[in-house]
Amino acid sequence: MTDVAKRVIDAGLNLLDRQIIDKDGMMSGNVDDLELTVPEEGGPPVITAILAGPGALARRLGARSGAWLESLHVRLHPSEQPGPARIAFGVVKRVADHVEITVSRSDLDVSRFEKWVRKHVIGKIPGARA
Amino acid sequence: MSVRDLAGTQIRFSDLLRMLVLDVESQEVGRVHDARFVKDGPVQGAFGPGYRLQGLVVGTGSFGARLGFDRASVKGPWPLKAMFRRLHANAKFVDWSQIDSIDGERIRLNVPAASLRPVEPLPS
Repeated sequence: MTDVAKRVIDAGLNLLDRQIIDKDGMMSGNVDDLELTVPEEGGPPVITAILAGPGALARRLGARSGAWLESLHVRLHPSEQPGPARIAFGVVKRVADHVEITVSRSDLDVSRFEKWVRKHVIGKIPGARA
Repeated sequence: MSVRDLAGTQIRFSDLLRMLVLDVESQEVGRVHDARFVKDGPVQGAFGPGYRLQGLVVGTGSFGARLGFDRASVKGPWPLKAMFRRLHANAKFVDWSQIDSIDGERIRLNVPAASLRPVEPLPS
């Protein structure tokens, strides 16, 4: 994809399900959904954030499996009303075959959820390493 | 909700996908397959100008659309491309200015379906 092509994208084709790569080259999840914001002064919406993780994917899966994934996400997430992990589009560096971001994966909400599950769920299973 | 009343609100891209699109005479145009964005919106930090929604790709079939085989700019085996392009020959581009309202599962247009233009291939 050339620079000119990146000026115009079909979001479903060029952005959705792309791998997110952090500033250290580590995989940091997928683009599961997008947050669009309609400007206060009106006009067309603008992409303001990438939504990632089970909280974002659930809505795309359809009725039964989506509801199951969302309830699992809510049950396991440390927050009382967890939304999807949000990555502000302002930290996106490049959109190509993958999406490069300028921050570390450890600073992302999607990583915090993983860490919580590792500590409180996986870590409690007998035989799990600390 | 009229698009004018959407000012300041947020929409999930996945909520737009597969919405039913009706023209000004309530005739069915199809369902939303994708959304086209242009990088000329308000500045988004390090990314620079953000992606502004230009319009929606709307069609009647959906099989193959998610893989992009309905758009001429996407590379792939020619028999699949030919088949899907035929299936999606009637896909239309709905400019944001042609949308009157977005309610639940439906998008209503302020123009007749006949005035919609076909989907142009992405720049290569």
